[in-house]
Amino acid sequence: MLRHWLMPVACAATLFHMESAGAHHSTAMFEWGTEKNLSGTIEKYEWTQPHTFIWIVVPGKSGKTQEWGLEGMSPSWLGRRGWNLHSLKPGEKVSLVYYPLKDGRKGGFYVRVTTPDGKTLEAAPTRNQ
Amino acid sequence: MDRVSSSLRSLTVICAAALSACGARTPAATAPISAALSEATADAAPSNPYAALAKLPDWSGVWDVTRAPPQPGETPPAQPKLTPKYEKQWAKYQALNKKQKGLNFVSEVASCIPPGVPQSMTEPYPIEFLFTPGRVTILIETDSLTRRIYTDGSPLPENPDPSYQGTSVGHWEGDTLVVETSGILPETSPLNGINGHSDKLHITERIHLLNPDRLEITTTRTDPAVFLEPYTTKTSYKRHRDWKIMEYVCEQNNHDALDAKGNAAFSLKHNPGE
Repeated sequence: MLRHWLMPVACAATLFHMESAGAHHSTAMFEWGTEKNLSGTIEKYEWTQPHTFIWIVVPGKSGKTQEWGLEGMSPSWLGRRGWNLHSLKPGEKVSLVYYPLKDGRKGGFYVRVTTPDGKTLEAAPTRNQ
Repeated sequence: MDRVSSSLRSLTVICAAALSACGARTPAATAPISAALSEATADAAPSNPYAALAKLPDWSGVWDVTRAPPQPGETPPAQPKLTPKYEKQWAKYQALNKKQKGLNFVSEVASCIPPGVPQSMTEPYPIEFLFTPGRVTILIETDSLTRRIYTDGSPLPENPDPSYQGTSVGHWEGDTLVVETSGILPETSPLNGINGHSDKLHITERIHLLNPDRLEITTTRTDPAVFLEPYTTKTSYKRHRDWKIMEYVCEQNNHDALDAKGNAAFSLKHNPGE
């Protein structure tokens, strides 16, 4: 999706910005720019095109666990910015920031992830990039 | 050289006659002569076409679109002047941009249909240029696309078969590569916010270095069905000498295919393509 690092600066978007980026897909399904927090255990990290995907299990209110699915930038984009396919390992407890789906399902777009060693990996474009 | 070839030719005639007289006509017997002849012919070739490439500018490395805003003193590009049908699409897109953050342009690219020219040149993944005699090849990481630009002086065909990357010819004006492209599939997007165009879409790109690590492409779109007048934008790219283009197969794990009505969607299925 975010074959697009345009979005974060979209609030300041000029026509130049919009033209300068193509698109894989619209971000209309996400509350783009609204940061939410989620903590849980990595079930699977998919290092795939066109997007990476985090499957994470989080504790639910009734004690039952819930599975969430979070899309991220592509391996090529993340790979050039310090990530690799081993950045998130199954069984690891992580906390992350994401932009939620508008329709309330358990999913969204991951923006940054903090791993058990305390490192935070940025996963979405910033204004300075 | 001519003298050598001529001598070899005479030698061949003499040897062939001698061999013929001896009744020895096996390929093994004639092979050394053929090898000597073809070597002589190669030496006599006018010049190595690769040598001419040394005069071209250095565009090595990998180029990534930059998102830098217009620099002080630069004028932002004008709004496109559009025909009524496409003006409606544009107005809707602009209204969405005011209402919500993010990218609001929905296209089939979300469903792994490749972007066409010129949109394939402005994806947030890098591109690479290869120079060979009579051709410039652009490798685009997005969808592992390839553009073949013929610089051998051949004209742009009048009615090329439509394709996503179109049919391109190019020529050098000093250090600027000028590329003309037509035959782009009409269902592709010529500009964010606009879906579709006619079979008359023609793209002119002027590609040159602004400084050693900054490349600029000036892109002009002409299509009377969409644009009331040619619409030009500029895109700049940053050089990354240490990057490598990676494989990109969109169908591998795409959760973002459009729904049946053509709206943006998001699948939470494992293995969404199955």
